Amino acid sequence: MLKLQKLEIIKQESVAPGHQRLTLAKGINALAGQFVHVRVSETYDPFLRRPISVHDCTEGRLVLLYRTVGRGTELLAAKKAGETLDLLGPLGNSFPLTDRPQAVVVAGGIGAAPLYYLLRSLKLAGKQVSFFYGARNEAELILRDEYRALVANYSEATDDGSAGTRALVTHLAAPVIAGLDATVYACGPSPMLKEVARLADCYGRSCFVSLEAQLACGVGACLGCVVPVKGREKYRRVCVDGPVFAAGEVFFC
Amino acid sequence: MTVKIAGVSLANPVMSASGCFGYGEEYASFFDLRRLGAVVVKGTTAEPCAGNPPPRMAETTGGMLNAIGLQNPGAVAAREKIIALQHYSVPVIVNVSGHSAAQYRAVIELLDDLAAVAAYEINISCPNVKAGGMAFGTDPAVVVGLVRELRGATKKPLIIKLSPNVTDVTVIARAAVEGGADALSLINTLLGMAIDMERRRPVLANLTGGLSGPAIKPVALRMVWQVSSAVDVPVIGMGGISGARDAVEFLMAGASAVAIGAANFTNPLVCPETVEGISAYLAENGFASVKEIVGLAKKEWLKMGDESGCGKK
Repeated sequence: MLKLQKLEIIKQESVAPGHQRLTLAKGINALAGQFVHVRVSETYDPFLRRPISVHDCTEGRLVLLYRTVGRGTELLAAKKAGETLDLLGPLGNSFPLTDRPQAVVVAGGIGAAPLYYLLRSLKLAGKQVSFFYGARNEAELILRDEYRALVANYSEATDDGSAGTRALVTHLAAPVIAGLDATVYACGPSPMLKEVARLADCYGRSCFVSLEAQLACGVGACLGCVVPVKGREKYRRVCVDGPVFAAGEVFFC
Repeated sequence: MTVKIAGVSLANPVMSASGCFGYGEEYASFFDLRRLGAVVVKGTTAEPCAGNPPPRMAETTGGMLNAIGLQNPGAVAAREKIIALQHYSVPVIVNVSGHSAAQYRAVIELLDDLAAVAAYEINISCPNVKAGGMAFGTDPAVVVGLVRELRGATKKPLIIKLSPNVTDVTVIARAAVEGGADALSLINTLLGMAIDMERRRPVLANLTGGLSGPAIKPVALRMVWQVSSAVDVPVIGMGGISGARDAVEFLMAGASAVAIGAANFTNPLVCPETVEGISAYLAENGFASVKEIVGLAKKEWLKMGDESGCGKK
């Protein structure tokens, strides 16, 4: 059953320049990989809702981590604790767990947001997790200490070398994907996902990617958010068929 | 609140607009579809249609552009979805699309035996397909011919959906009525485009898309006024409606019913809320029926100037 509801904002924190963490009152039970569709204005300006991935969820308490990239997310960031938020969700599918005892998780930039909850879920399921966190620079490795604290094996890569290894995060992950019989999960920019998918395919690993798209309805009606997929279907909807897809299923643009 | 459009009785004058409500299933989990006057389902073609490559949409000031390209499962698969909608006992209007007269006809032939189909809305105004669609809806001679052919294919009411992308919409409206249209619906989306400055390229893979949302409401209102003044068949008004206030304005402009499209994306409850809002407006202002406010602004406009010397020229 789809839910449309108003929940109180418990906490709105700036966790880094241009990055906010928002905690909501109890009311939505989401799985790792799902998202909520947020109405950022009481009016129709901006016109559409904003899809925000679930960063964490404990006993129905949602945490959202988002980057302020335009007017919509700036309006969201301006909302204070005590105000209510109009939400549609939880929406979309979730990251599947497999029978493999090991997992490799690759994050690029704000793509890390939904992976926090995945890391927690993997840990709860007793998986041995290697996490690779890539960003342009140290400042954009958002909440790095919290991610580091969750996993046994933690590695960082930045484009400018200001933290971790100066490399693409996929370069760091490649030998581990090659050597470890693990399930691979990734969220980040399209070129990164494409490379993770290629590596996973090359070494025969199951791989799941979470895709981002502009959404209108968020519930599967408008067909505005499709991605090209292999096979007869040609296109699938990110909002209800995803956002998590088997990496071998989709074409990366 | 009841209205009658082309012989179809509706519990209220509010419908979901085609393309913005799928086949109803997605929104059935938000509210009882019985609260709608009618469900107008997604544009349906004879064969399945994959649609346009992404990106297919872009948000704009006061609305959005879309270039879905008529993605739909085809009339045979749509049958099942339409039959499923019957469960809600709400009139179903099927939006019929195609690239040729024969394809439009084929959709009707594949669905015409379904009791659940109350009427057809003939989409001669989709801006996002290369052949057919809007190309059909901009030439009056073609419109007369197409409507006449479809008139011969079914006894069910034909509602012709008009494109705003013409110089004089009343010319096309008259052509549709001449061909045998029972009602007209307008407007479809306005042709537009968006450019991404950072990436230095068009946003939509299709280059152009259809603009919808509050930004197009004044254009739609103007065309509803013009068309309802030019023809005698009922007009279903749409284009940027996002609440009861907008809906009442369309009714006053001459629409006999209204449809709500893109606003469903932002507020999934916008349709039932609009029904309640219209009802409240009628009650508060002493109107006994929706019919009493249809075209009301025209009557008032005729009086303007007579009394005060200001207003009408």
